Amino acid sequence: MQLRDYIFRRLLVLPILIIGVSIVVFTLTRVGGSPIGIYLSHEMTPSEVAEIQARFGLDQPVWVQYLQWAKGILQGDFGYSGVAAAPVSDIFPLKLAATMELAAAAGCVALFLGITLGTFAGARRNRLPDHITRIVAVSGASLPQFWFGILLLIVFWAQLGIAPIGRSDATIFASIDHPTGLYTIDAILAASPKAFWDAVWHLILPALTLGYGATAIIARMMRSALVEELQQDYVDAARAKGLAEKIVLKRHARRNALVPTVTVIGLTFGFLLQGTITIEIIYRWPGLGRWMADSVLRGDQGTLMTYVLFTSVLFLLVNLIVDVVYANLDRRVTLGK
Amino acid sequence: MLDATQASENVASVRDLKVHFQSKRGVVHAVDGVSFDIQDGETLGLVGETGCGKSVTGRSFLRLLPVPPGILAGGAVSFRPHGPCTACEGAGCEACAKTGRRASGDQPVDLLSISLQDMRRIRGDRIAMIFQDPGKALNPTLTIGAQMSEVFLQHRTAELLDRAGLPPDTAGAVRRFAAQEPRFGDGLILKFPPKRGQRAKLQVALNQMVTEALAETQVPNPAKLMDRFPHELSGGMRQRVMIAQALACNPDLLIADEPTTALDVTVEARILELIRALQQRRKTSVLYISHDLSLVRRICDRVAVMYAGRIVEIGTTEDVFANPRHPYTRGLMAAVPTAGTARGKLAAIRGTVPELVDPPLECRFAGRCPYETATCRQNDPSLQPVSGGHSVACFIDHPTGSQDAPSFDRVTE
Ligand SMILES: Nc1ncnc2c1ncn2[C@@H]1O[C@H](COP(=O)(O)OP(=O)(O)O)[C@@H](O)[C@H]1O
Ligand code: SF4
Ligand SMILES: [Mg+2]
Ligand SMILES: [Zn+2]
Repeated sequence: MQLRDYIFRRLLVLPILIIGVSIVVFTLTRVGGSPIGIYLSHEMTPSEVAEIQARFGLDQPVWVQYLQWAKGILQGDFGYSGVAAAPVSDIFPLKLAATMELAAAAGCVALFLGITLGTFAGARRNRLPDHITRIVAVSGASLPQFWFGILLLIVFWAQLGIAPIGRSDATIFASIDHPTGLYTIDAILAASPKAFWDAVWHLILPALTLGYGATAIIARMMRSALVEELQQDYVDAARAKGLAEKIVLKRHARRNALVPTVTVIGLTFGFLLQGTITIEIIYRWPGLGRWMADSVLRGDQGTLMTYVLFTSVLFLLVNLIVDVVYANLDRRVTLGK
Repeated sequence: MLDATQASENVASVRDLKVHFQSKRGVVHAVDGVSFDIQDGETLGLVGETGCGKSVTGRSFLRLLPVPPGILAGGAVSFRPHGPCTACEGAGCEACAKTGRRASGDQPVDLLSISLQDMRRIRGDRIAMIFQDPGKALNPTLTIGAQMSEVFLQHRTAELLDRAGLPPDTAGAVRRFAAQEPRFGDGLILKFPPKRGQRAKLQVALNQMVTEALAETQVPNPAKLMDRFPHELSGGMRQRVMIAQALACNPDLLIADEPTTALDVTVEARILELIRALQQRRKTSVLYISHDLSLVRRICDRVAVMYAGRIVEIGTTEDVFANPRHPYTRGLMAAVPTAGTARGKLAAIRGTVPELVDPPLECRFAGRCPYETATCRQNDPSLQPVSGGHSVACFIDHPTGSQDAPSFDRVTE
C-alpha cells in the first residue's frame, strides 16, 4: 500500500476511535461522581440540589447527557471550569501552550541526548561513553521525577540562586505581546533577545527534569539497537567497500538502529505528558498538568473530561506519526497488514 | 622468503598467518600458521569443513576481523596491487584485458601492518569481497543504487566529477559529496542553488556508473533496479548486486566467501558461471572459499584444503583431485555425494573439528584419521612438497624416521 493511502485510511478511522474514546471518558467520569459536586455544600436542601441538577440537564437519561456533552464539544463548548472560574475553552489554549512548550523542550532534550548518548555508548562499548550512558540510563529510570526535580531546585534555585522558578519574569512578560502563548516563539516574533533568554532560562530546569527519564529510555534502546546492528554482515560489507568508520556508523548502523528506537520514542511521549503533572507542580509551571491536579482534587469534571479526551486524541495522532516515520525508515514494513 | 620471479607472479602471499580469538575457555587458534600464494589471475579454492578458519583467513586480507576478541598473533599478508599497464599506459589494450592495469614489479604491501587509511584505500578498490548471505550483506534500509554509489564515491571521485562535467578541482560541499566526506549542513547547501545543479549532475553521472556496473552482471533492467530495496529482490539477484558492487572498481583480488551457499542449486550454477566469466574477462584473481569440493573442482585452478586452522594440502585442481595425499582430503572427497549415493547417506568423516583452544603438539587430524599411528600423536606435520606445486602436511608422505610411520595401506582406526 502506498504511504499516502495508508495515512488517508488511518485518518478516516480516527473519528470513530475518537467517538469511542469520548464514550469511555464520559462513562468513567460519571462513575467517579456527580459533576455538580463542586457546586454543592452541606447547607443545601434537596430541592435546591434538584434545581441545580435540572439546570445542568442531569435529570435526563445518561445517553442524552452524553449526546449533549458531545454536541457541546462539536460547537466548541467544553463546559465550565470551576477551578479557573471560566469556560474550559477560554483557559485550555493558554494552559496547553505552556505545557506544550515544556513538553517540546523536554522532548528535544531527550531526543538529542538520548540518541547521542546511545550512539556513543553503542559504538564504544565498555569504554567511558558507555559507562556514562549506563549511569544516565539507570539513574534516569530509577530516580523518581519529583525527587530529582526537588534536588535540582534546592541546588540551583535555593542554594546557588542561579535558576528561576515559574515560567517568566513578570516585567519581561509584560514587555511583549503573546500571540502564540509559547513564550520562546513569542519572543522571537517580538524580536526581543531578552525575552527569549528569559523564556529559555525558565525552561531549562523543568525541561531537563522532565526529559531525563525519556533520555534514559531512548539512550538505552539506541545503545542496544546499535550494538545489534554493528554485528550485522552489512556493516562489514560497508567496511569492505572502503567506507570511513564514521559513514559506516552514521549512514548504515545508526540509521537502522533508529528503526526500533522510533517506537520507543513514541512511547516516551506518554511518559513526558504524564510527567508534566509532577514537574509543573514542582516548578510552578502554569500548564495543563497543574490545572489538572487541582481539578482532580476539586472534582472539576468539565476540565478533566476535556483533558482526558484531548490527550487520548493526541496519543492517537502520535501513534500514527510513529507508524509513518517507522515505515519511512524501514521499507520492509508492510503497511496496513 | 620469495625469490623475484616467483614474487612477480603472485598477487598476494600469506605467510605464517596466525589469527587467534580470546574466548571464555582460552585462546582459540582459529588460524594457526597458514601460508599460501595467490597467483596473478588464478582462482584459488579454499575448502574445508565449517569452523576450520576459512572465513577468518579470507577476512584477514581486508582486516575485517573483530579485534578484540580477535588477535592478529603473527604472520604477514603481502599484496601487490596492479599498476598502470606499461603497454598502453592505462588506456586499455589486449595485454591487460582492456583494464589498463597489470601486475607490477612494485614492492608488495603488508596488509596486516599498513595504516587503516591505506587499508581503506585498498578495500573495495583493489581487493573486494563477496559475502555468504547477500540478504544480510546488503543494508535493508538503503536502495541498491545508494549502496552501490558508495563504492564510486569512495574510490572514483575524479572520474565522477569528470563525467558530471565538473572541474577536477571542484571544492566545497560538492566535492565533499563526491568524495563521501559529508559535513554537517552540506545536505542543505546542496538542496539549493547554486550548488543544486551540480549535485544533480553528479547524481546523473553516479546513476550512470551504477547502471553500467549492474549491467555487467546481466541483471534485467539495471536502471530500474537501482531504486529497489534489497528485500524486494530474489537471493540470486541480490548476489548479482553484491558481485556488481565488488567488481565495480576492477579489483585485483576478489575474496568470495561461500557466495552461493545461501542460494538455490539452480541459481548457484548461474552465479558461478557469472563469477567465472567476469574473472576471466578482467583477469581478476579470486580466493574462492567453499565447503563444497565438487564446486571448487569446477571453477578453481588450484585448491588449498584447510583443516583446523592449517592448510593440510595444496596443489593444482588436477593434482589434488587425481592424487589426494592427505587423509582429510580423501575423507572430504568420499563425503561428496555422487550420482550413485542416496541423499543423506554421505560417507562423512567421523567426529568433528577439534576445539582449537591451546592445541597440543600433534597432527590436528589425529583422532579422526583412519591411518594415524603413535607418531601422529607426538609430532606436528608441516606442509611439504610431494611434487612440483603439490604439497601436503602428513607423515604418510613425509615420515619422521621413527618406526611406526602411517601408511594408506594400514587402516588403524
Ligand atoms: N568473531 C569471532 N569471535 C570468536 N571466535 C571466532 C570469531 N570468528 C571466528 N571465530 C573462531 O574461528 C573459528 C573459525 O571460524 P571461520 O573462519 O568462520 O570458519 P569457517 O569459515 O571455515 O567456517 C571458529 O570456529 C571460531 O572458533
Ligand atoms: S599425520 Fe597421521 S594423523 Fe595426521 S593426517 Fe597423516 S596419518 Fe593422519
Ligand atoms: Mg565461513
Ligand atoms: Zn594495457
